[in-house]
Amino acid sequence: MNLVAYSSTNPSMINMGKTLFEKIWEDHIVVEKKNNPSLIYIDRHLIHEVTSPQAFDGLRMNNRSVRRPDLTIATMDHNVPTNDRSLPILDQTSAIQIQTLEKNCKDFGIQLFDITSPNQGIVHVIGPQLGITLPGTTIVCGDSHTSTHGAFGTLSFGIGTSEVEHVLASQTLWLDKPKPFEIRVEGKRKNPHAVTAKDIILSIIKNIGTAGGTGTVIEYRGDGISDLSMEQRMTICNMSIEAGARAGLIAPDEKTFDYLRDRQYTPKNYESLVDYWKDHLKTDSDAKFEKNYTLHIDNIAPQVSWGTNPGMTCDVTESVPSPEDFSKGDHNQKKGAEKALEYMDLKPGVLITEIKIDRVFIGSCTNARLEDLIEASKIIKGQKVSPHVRAMVVPGSQMVKKQAEDLGIDKIFIDANFEWRESGCSMCLGMNPDILSPGERCASTSNRNFEGRQGTGGRTHLVSPVMAAAAAIEGRFVDVRKMDLN
Amino acid sequence: MKGNVIKYERDNIDTDVIIPGQYLKIHDYAELALHAMEGLDPNFHSKVKEGDFILSGRNFGCGSSREHAPIALSHSGIKAVLALSFARIFYRNAVDGAFLLPIEIERDAYSNISEGDEIDIDISNNTIKNLTKKQTYKMKPFSEIIGKIIESGGLFKYKPIYD
Repeated sequence: MNLVAYSSTNPSMINMGKTLFEKIWEDHIVVEKKNNPSLIYIDRHLIHEVTSPQAFDGLRMNNRSVRRPDLTIATMDHNVPTNDRSLPILDQTSAIQIQTLEKNCKDFGIQLFDITSPNQGIVHVIGPQLGITLPGTTIVCGDSHTSTHGAFGTLSFGIGTSEVEHVLASQTLWLDKPKPFEIRVEGKRKNPHAVTAKDIILSIIKNIGTAGGTGTVIEYRGDGISDLSMEQRMTICNMSIEAGARAGLIAPDEKTFDYLRDRQYTPKNYESLVDYWKDHLKTDSDAKFEKNYTLHIDNIAPQVSWGTNPGMTCDVTESVPSPEDFSKGDHNQKKGAEKALEYMDLKPGVLITEIKIDRVFIGSCTNARLEDLIEASKIIKGQKVSPHVRAMVVPGSQMVKKQAEDLGIDKIFIDANFEWRESGCSMCLGMNPDILSPGERCASTSNRNFEGRQGTGGRTHLVSPVMAAAAAIEGRFVDVRKMDLN
Repeated sequence: MKGNVIKYERDNIDTDVIIPGQYLKIHDYAELALHAMEGLDPNFHSKVKEGDFILSGRNFGCGSSREHAPIALSHSGIKAVLALSFARIFYRNAVDGAFLLPIEIERDAYSNISEGDEIDIDISNNTIKNLTKKQTYKMKPFSEIIGKIIESGGLFKYKPIYD
C-alpha cells in the first residue's frame, strides 16, 4: 500500500506536432518511464553565493564530488556591495558567504568569476554575455529569475538548494513535466523607445495574474516578440516567474544567433550548431498548447505597479485603483488590494503621475543591460535628478559597466547626479548595503514589489528604465511618451 | 498528523515576507526560524507551536527560489502549509528537503477552517478532518513524483523503482 495517495500522470500524446518546450524536454530525458517521474539532464549549472553553501555542505557530508565541474559556473552577485571594490566587505555574514563560495569553488574545481573578475555580474546577465547560455540547452540556477535565459530558446528555471545539490552531484533533476502555454504578443508599439519590453511583460502579468502561468512553460510568440532585441527578450523571459511560470521561452532566430556569435565561451563548432538550431528549435505548426493568451500592443501605455505584487500594475495615465474595483473577484482580492494600498501609503483615485518618489534604482537582472542604460541615459542627458531624489544606476555586470563607460554613458548619469556603481543584484532584494529606508518610495527597474523586498518598510514601484530615469528627473512619475526620445 | 491552524486570509504570500532577504545570509536554521513570517506577521514567532499548520489562499510561496522559506517555517514547528494553490518552486522545495507538506485544498476547507482549529491531515486518504468543527474535507492528491519524494523522505532518499 502507498503511504501517499497520488494521482497518475497522463500518458503523453504521440504522432502530434511538438512545441519548442516539448522538443527541448525530450532532448534531455535521461530516464522516462510510464508512471514514473522524468530524469532530465542539465547542460549548464549556474551558482551564486546565497543558495549554494548548504548544497556543498551536503556533498561533503555524503562524500560526493561535483559530477561535471566543467558545466558549472559560479559568480557572486546577491550579497556584494556595489561601492568601491577595493574596500573590505563590512557585513560579516556577507563576507563569510562570499568566502565560502570561493572555498567551495576551489575545493570542487568550479570556475568562479569573483568580485575582482571582469566577468563578474548578475548571474543572468553574464550567462548570455559570455556565450554560456545556448539555444536548445537546459540551464538551472538556485535563483527564480533563471527564466531569463529562455530568451535564447533555452529551457531554464530556478531551483532550490536541495536541487542545486542534486545537480552538483548528478547533473540531472527529477521533474514533473510542465504544460506548454502560448502567449502571443501581436502588433506594433507606436513609440518603442517609450513603451518597452518591461511594459509588455508587466501588461501580461497584470492580465493573466501572478499565478496565471503556474505549472507551465510560457512560449512567447508573435511579431511583438520577434521585433524585440535580445536584451529586450531577456526582460520578457526574466519576469515569467512573476506570472508563476516555471520558465519562459522564445524560439531562437537570426538575432539570437548573432548575439551569441564570438562570445568568450561560444562553442568552436558554432555555425554547425546554428544550422541544427534553425531546423529543430521551433514549435511545429500542428503543435498544441494547453493554454493560450494574446496581448495586442499597438496602444499599450508605460506601466507602473501600484501594489505589492507585479500583477498590481496599471497604465501611467491611470489613477490608483480602489479596493472596490476588485469586489467582483473573491474576498481575498479586495482584501489584498486594501492591504497593498495601506502598505504603499496610497489613496484610491490619486493619479499615478501625482505620486512623488524618493529613490530611483536602475538595475537588476530584469533591466541592467547595456541597452537599458543607453535608453535611460537619453532621458536624462543634460538634466539633473530632482533635488529630493536619490538615484542610482547599477550595471548588470562588469562587462556592461565597461561597455557603457566606453560609450560615455557613465558621464551622462554622473553629470545628472546619479550614482554610478559596481555590478551586482544591489537594491533588487535588500540583501546588501543598497536598501530603502522604511517609508521610502522607489521607482525601480527590478522585478518584485513585494512588501519589504527592497528593505523593511520600503515601497517599490516597478517601471521600465526610461520611466525610472524620467521619474528621477521630475521627482514623480511621468508619461515618457510625451518626451522626445528619438 | 494533527495540529492547530494559523490562518492568513490572503493570496500571494511571497517568499520575501516568509523570510526577508536580509536573513538569507543566516546559516543556522534555528536562528533563521526566529525570522519566519517576519515580513507579514511579526508575532508569528511568539504564537507558533511545534506541529502547527499554516492555512492560506492562492499562490502561496510565490517569488524567490530561496529554500530558506520552507526551512524557516519548518524549523518554527510548521508541519504543513494548506493553501488554495502554491507557487511551484516553494512547493517543490518544501518536499525536496522533507521540510513540510504543501497541501492543496479546496474552497470549502479554506472557508470553514478557522484560526486555532485542530485538524487531522491524512495523506494516505487525501482527507482533512476538522476536529474542532467535526467536518471533513478533501485535499487535492499529490502528483506522482511529489508523492514518491514525500514517501521516500526527501529528494536524496528517493530511489526510483522500474518494472
